[in-house]
Amino acid sequence: MLETTPHSLTEHQPESIRSLYDRHAGMLLGYIFEVVKDRKLAEEYLIKVFCDLSIRFNDVNRTGISGWPQLQKFAREKLLSLPDSPRYTSLNAGVKISDSPNSYLRQLTEEQRQVFCDVYYNGRTIADISRSLNKTEDLTRKTLKEAFAIMRKGSEN
Amino acid sequence: MKINEYIESGILEAYVLGSASEAEANELLHLKAQHPQIEDALFKLESDLERIAEHMAITPPPNTWAKIEGGINELVKTPQFEYLIGEEPKESSRGSRSGKSAQFIEVEAESGHMRIRKIWRWVFLAVFVLGKIFLAFAIYYYLENRHTQEEIEKLKTELENKRTK
Repeated sequence: MLETTPHSLTEHQPESIRSLYDRHAGMLLGYIFEVVKDRKLAEEYLIKVFCDLSIRFNDVNRTGISGWPQLQKFAREKLLSLPDSPRYTSLNAGVKISDSPNSYLRQLTEEQRQVFCDVYYNGRTIADISRSLNKTEDLTRKTLKEAFAIMRKGSEN
Repeated sequence: MKINEYIESGILEAYVLGSASEAEANELLHLKAQHPQIEDALFKLESDLERIAEHMAITPPPNTWAKIEGGINELVKTPQFEYLIGEEPKESSRGSRSGKSAQFIEVEAESGHMRIRKIWRWVFLAVFVLGKIFLAFAIYYYLENRHTQEEIEKLKTELENKRTK
C-alpha cells in the first residue's frame, strides 16, 4: 500500500515534481483545457493534478511517471475520478472546434476525431468505442491509427 | 506473426494512448522485448504524442507553481490530504496519525478534534486538585467564621444582660 506521510511529501517531491511541472505543465494545461473547455477550470484542475501527483509521489517513482504519456494517463484518470468528472465534449454536442487551440483535430474526419478524442480524452477502450460505432475492433484501431498519423503529420509541419 | 502487420494494426497507437486491453498490453510488452522494431515504433509514437501535446500546450499563468506549492504545503499541514481528488481516506494515513498519539491527547467533541500536548493533562489535574483544596478551606473558614460570629453574639447578649442587672 502507498505509504504517504507529510514527511515524505516534504522530503522527496519538490525538485522532481517541479521538473515535471517545468517540462509538462503547459502540455497538461492544453490537454485539460481540451477536456473542460474553460481556462479557469483547466488551471484549477492542473493545480489539483500536480498536488495529487505530489501525494502519490512515492508510488509515482515506482511506476515511473517521467514522460508525457504516463503523466497524461495519470491526469486523465484523475479527471475521470473527480465527483463532477469532466468529459471531453465532441462536436456533436455543439462545441466549436474553432474555439480550441488544437487545430489538428480540424484535419480529421468526424469519425477519426470521435475515435481519437474518445480514446485520448475520455479514456474509452477500443472495444467500447467499437460497440458504439458498430464496427469491428480492428477497424476502430485502424481509424485510430489514421487519426494519429494525420495529427502527427500536422505537428511535423 | 508478421511484425509489420502487427505494427500497422493500430494496436501500438491504442497502447500509447492508454486504450489497449490488459491482454493486448501484455502481448505488446512481450513482443516488444523480442522485436526491436516494435520498441522503436513505440518510442517514435510516444515522441510523436509528446510533440502533438506540445503543439496544443497553453502556458500556465506565472503564479500557478506558487499555487501548487501552496496546495502541497496545505497537504503537509492537513493530515487528511488524501481527500483531495474525491477519494476515500486510506488506512495508511490513519496509521501515520497514530504515531502522533504518543505526543498528544485528544479532546474529542461532537464536531471534531482538538489536539493538545500531554503535559496539559497534569496541569488540568493539578488545577482540579488545588480547586478542591481551596474549596475545602473556603468551606472550613466560612463555617469557622459563622461559629465565631455566633459566639460573639452570645457574649454580647450575656454582657448586656449583666449590665442591665
